[in-house]
Amino acid sequence: MKLTISRWRLAVGIIVLTAAPMLALAQGGGFGGGYGPPLKVIPPTQPFASSEAHYQFLLSQAKGGTQHTIASVPRWDGLWVTAGNTHMEIFIDGGNFSGKVREGVLTPAYEKAFKERWRQQTEEGQVHYDRLGRCEPPGMPRFLLEPYSHEFINLPTESYLINDFGPSIRRVLIGKQHSNLYGTHSWYGDTIGFWDGDKLVLNTKYLYPADFTRWSPMTSNQFETVEVWQLKKYAGGIERIEVQATFYDKYAFVKPVSAVYAFRHAVDLEQADYRVNHWECDQTNNNFLDDKGVSNFHLPGEAGFNDGRGATMFPELPGQTRDPIYNTTLPAATTPAQPQSTTTQSTTKGAKP
Amino acid sequence: MKRLLISLPLALAAALLTTSVAQAHHSFAMFDNKTFVTKSGTIVRWAFNNPHSWLYLNVKNEDGSETLWSFEGGGPTGLIQRGITGNTFKPGDAVTFMYCPLRDGRPGGAIGWVKLADGKALNLADGGCTGTEESPKKP
Repeated sequence: MKLTISRWRLAVGIIVLTAAPMLALAQGGGFGGGYGPPLKVIPPTQPFASSEAHYQFLLSQAKGGTQHTIASVPRWDGLWVTAGNTHMEIFIDGGNFSGKVREGVLTPAYEKAFKERWRQQTEEGQVHYDRLGRCEPPGMPRFLLEPYSHEFINLPTESYLINDFGPSIRRVLIGKQHSNLYGTHSWYGDTIGFWDGDKLVLNTKYLYPADFTRWSPMTSNQFETVEVWQLKKYAGGIERIEVQATFYDKYAFVKPVSAVYAFRHAVDLEQADYRVNHWECDQTNNNFLDDKGVSNFHLPGEAGFNDGRGATMFPELPGQTRDPIYNTTLPAATTPAQPQSTTTQSTTKGAKP
Repeated sequence: MKRLLISLPLALAAALLTTSVAQAHHSFAMFDNKTFVTKSGTIVRWAFNNPHSWLYLNVKNEDGSETLWSFEGGGPTGLIQRGITGNTFKPGDAVTFMYCPLRDGRPGGAIGWVKLADGKALNLADGGCTGTEESPKKP
């Protein structure tokens, strides 16, 4: 009977710890929401015609920005994980999965596309397809809410905003002008910034079309951001990096929209002595689209199966397995490939350890 | 009754955990997250890889043969926060597990929970399986 009581206590503890994020999801704070006081959006004090005009206004207000030294630049050391956001409150009445798409926020074409995503999510329980299943990087704005771990490294002339997903790295050049020598756009575009005391103000342009999440609106190749990053401290020792973001997109939004995103210290990961390893989605990805456009997986033994812990292309050599501690093997392909495979490798041949 | 007292709180806790930590690499449309199946098997590989973990097990069929089953679980950073690491399972470990099956009937699914030989239950779930209850279906 003692065992039963202790399991009840354990369960109640777990329930208490997990209930807060659930409630926060209902309040629009998914992906780790519920840590600290409710997030409050701070929209621009006036409308701007472009993200660049908005950024220049803030730079002017900050009198050209704070010139930090290596000793004075704000430090956001350690590992961070997402701690909620408010972006669904922009697009969904009620801000949660029981709400309906708010009309008039997105342009007609983007609203129609989003309504279909939302129908799949709410009626069928899942959106059929996520572009990340093809190993596309999260990109912007999805970088701001993807899970896994984040690191934020500030130097006087640069900042590095890192998510181990991908990995994804946003390089912020302090005090610079925009530049685009590639002649096209990219997943993280070009980000310039300045410091206003302890606030890091960013302007990002030249982004690929992407999305907020698979159940959220898509964005166009004209999506641009102005973000204000700040480490805020609250009672009870709570520290939270809050990102006040305004999004500009002439193709997707009727007018610019604003949201706030948050990160908290990844205390559990640091206490577990976690190390961020380099990884890329393609090594282990077995996701493909079936003939109905719905995501599915290749399994071991099927042509197209991508064995992330299998051998390299040289299994006859010693030391070529990617599972050197347990040295396990999975069956080699024996069945025909699934249609529309997005992966081509099949490296399941037995390897010398 | 005693079994209910033990399993109900664990099921409640598992449900809350999985609801709040579903991650976002891909759609989970391939899984039937309304069906919960329980089986026993022997671990072939625990692939604690990003962006999602995969658990591969041999499960005995009625005729005595074995089939390799494949199950997707949460990403490492989420699982580490539940005390699960890349060394939690070893090849050859005998376990009981609950999963939500692939809709197309192939031997795989989204993992819910795994019980070790000593009875300890671990929540490996991601967004593909809520893990709220044990299935009425038996292996």
